[in-house]
Amino acid sequence: MSLVKLKNVKKIYQVGEVKVSALKDINLNINKGKFISFIGPSGSGKTTLLNLIGCLDKPTNGEIFINDVKVNQLGRKESAKFRGDNIGFIFQNFNLLPVLTVFENVEYPLIMVHSVPKTERKKRVLTLLEKVGMLDQKDKYPNQLSGGQKQRVAVARALVTNPKIVLADEPTANLDHKTAYRVIKTMHIMKNELGTTFIFATHDPKVVGEVETIYTLEDGLVVDKKIHNDRKGN
Amino acid sequence: MGNILKIALRNLFRYKRRTLLTASLIAIGVILVVVFGGIANSFKNKVIGILTNSNLADIQIHKKGYISSIDNLPLDLTISGEGINKIENLLKENEQIKAFSKRFRFGSAISNFVQTTNIRLTAVYPEMESQTCPDLPKRIKNSKNEPSNFVRRGELIVPINLAQGLDLKVGSDVVLVANNKDGSVNGITLRVSGISENILGPTGKDGYLHLDDARTLLRIPTSQNEVTEIAIKLNNFDKLDYVYNQLKSELMKFKTQSGKPMYEISTWKELSPFASIVRIIDLLIIVVKIVLIFIVLVSILNVMIMSVYERVSEIGTIASIGTPPGKILSLFLVEGFSLGLISSIVGSLLGIAILFLFSIIKLNFTFGRMELALSPEIQLSEVIFTSLIVIIISVVSSLQPAIKASKLEPVDALRHV
Repeated sequence: MSLVKLKNVKKIYQVGEVKVSALKDINLNINKGKFISFIGPSGSGKTTLLNLIGCLDKPTNGEIFINDVKVNQLGRKESAKFRGDNIGFIFQNFNLLPVLTVFENVEYPLIMVHSVPKTERKKRVLTLLEKVGMLDQKDKYPNQLSGGQKQRVAVARALVTNPKIVLADEPTANLDHKTAYRVIKTMHIMKNELGTTFIFATHDPKVVGEVETIYTLEDGLVVDKKIHNDRKGN
Repeated sequence: MGNILKIALRNLFRYKRRTLLTASLIAIGVILVVVFGGIANSFKNKVIGILTNSNLADIQIHKKGYISSIDNLPLDLTISGEGINKIENLLKENEQIKAFSKRFRFGSAISNFVQTTNIRLTAVYPEMESQTCPDLPKRIKNSKNEPSNFVRRGELIVPINLAQGLDLKVGSDVVLVANNKDGSVNGITLRVSGISENILGPTGKDGYLHLDDARTLLRIPTSQNEVTEIAIKLNNFDKLDYVYNQLKSELMKFKTQSGKPMYEISTWKELSPFASIVRIIDLLIIVVKIVLIFIVLVSILNVMIMSVYERVSEIGTIASIGTPPGKILSLFLVEGFSLGLISSIVGSLLGIAILFLFSIIKLNFTFGRMELALSPEIQLSEVIFTSLIVIIISVVSSLQPAIKASKLEPVDALRHV
C-alpha cells in the first residue's frame, strides 16, 4: 500500500504577471520504508515536489495522499499538526536553532509539537544521539559543531518523533565528500532500523548511489524512474 | 510554558547589545516615573499635610454662602445656637472624626501704639484647635505656652510678616479694633504670646486669639454660641471623600425656612489654591507615565520587528517541524513580556534605590514661605502599577510582530535568506 500518493498534481507559481508551471501532472506512489530520491537539474521541480509532499505548500491542481490522508485540503493548523505527527525534515543548511544545545535541538519537536513527558523525552533524545554518533556533543551549541555534525543532529531531530517520512532537500550540498558519505550512511542505517521512508531531492551522486528508487524530473515532469533492489540494506 | 520562557530568554540575550540598550531605555523610563512620582507625591503629601494639620483641617462647615464671600470675612453668615449643637452632635457620633474646632474669623485693625494696620484673625478654643490642627502650635515660635493651650485669654499670636512690620515681639502689647456685625466699633488690648510662621494660602497669615476674647471684642454675648466655621480632623485622611459625602448628606437635612440648605461643607481642596497645584502635579505624573508608555511601545516594537525579520528562516524551520502557530505566537509574546518584565524590575529597583538615597540626604527647599524637607517615598502599589503598565505595553507591542511570525508560510519563510 502507498504511503505517499500523488494524483495529477500540478503547481503553478505566479511570478509577477507570468505564470510558471513548476510541476505538470505528477503521478507518484511511494511505499513505506523506502529510500528514494528525486533528481534533476535546477528548476526541474524537485524542491517544489518535496514541499508538496511535506505539506509545506499546496498544489494548484490534483490530490496528495499521505498515509491515506488527503493533505492538500488541510488548513494551516491541521497541516502543522500533520507535519509534526508524520513528517521529519532535513535541510541543506541544517537549520538548527542556534540558541539551543544539540540535546535541546533534538528535544525541541518533542516539547513544542508532541508534549512528551520529560523522562521519555530524555530517553528518546539520548538514544537517537547515540545512533547518529553525537552523544558526546550533546551539550554543545550548533556554532561549536562542524557541518557534518550539524547534519547528523538534524537527522536525529527529524527522526525523534518517529515520523513515517523524512524529507531531505539537498542534505549533503554543504558537506565535504567524506562527511556527506557518513551522513548518508547514518540515514540509511536509521531507515533500516526504524523503517522510516526517506525522500531526497538532490544532485549529489553520493546520495543517488545509495537510494533504492530514483525519479528523474525535467521541466516539472517525471521523465524516468529507476529501481535498484540491491541497495536495501548496506 | 517553562520551555517557551527558556527559549524566549535565550533568543532575547542572543543579541546582547540590542537587548541591553532597549532594556536600559525602558528601565530609565521606569526610574523616571518612580523617582518623579516619588518626589512629586511626597511634595504634594507634605504640603497637604502642612495645610491640613496647621491651618485648614481636613473639612470645614460654614453657613451657606460663606465660602463665596470668604474674602470679606462676613460676620452675618455664622452658625449659631441650636445649629451648632446639632452639628456638634453629628460630629461626635461619627467614628471617622478625630476632632473638630469651632472658629470665628474676622478682620480687625491692629496697633502697636505707633503704627496701625489690618489683620485677619481666627479665634479659637486652643484645646479644640490643637487637636484639629496638631501642627499649628509647632509653627508658633517663642511661645512659652503648652501646645494644648497655645493661645490663652488676653493673648494674641501674630503672623511673622506682621510682627516684623510692626516690630512686635513676644510680650509686646497691641490693640485690636474691630467692627461687629451691627457696625459698632470696639477695641481690646492683648499681649503678643507667639509669632506664627506663614503658611501657603489665604488663611496662612492669620493671627490667632482666644474665642472668648473675640466675643468680647465683637460684643457677642457669651450665652450666644456663634462661630463662622467648624474645622474637622479625620482619623484617616484617605477616607476624606467618604466622610465628606456622609456629612454632606446629613447636613443637607438642615434647611432654611425657604427650604434651602442651611450649611455648606468643603474639603481642603475647595479652600486652598494648592489643590490646583495638586491637580497639575497629578497631570504631570500622568504625562510622565504616557511618555514611558511610548518609550516602551516604540522600543519593544522595534526590537520585536527586528527579531522577527532576522529569524524568518528559523520561524520557517520550527513551523515546518510542526510547531503550531499559537506556540510561535507565544514564543515572541513571551520574548516581549520578558524584556518588559526584566526592564521594569531593574528600573523599579534602581528608582526605589534613588528615592531611598534622597530620603537619607533629604531634599530641602522653600515653597512660598514654607521651608520643606522632603523625604521622598513611593507606595509599593504605585511601583507595581508602573511595572504592570510596562509589562502590558510590552506584550501589546509584541503582538503585531508575533502575529506576523505565526502567520508566516513555512515554505516562504524557509526560502528567506
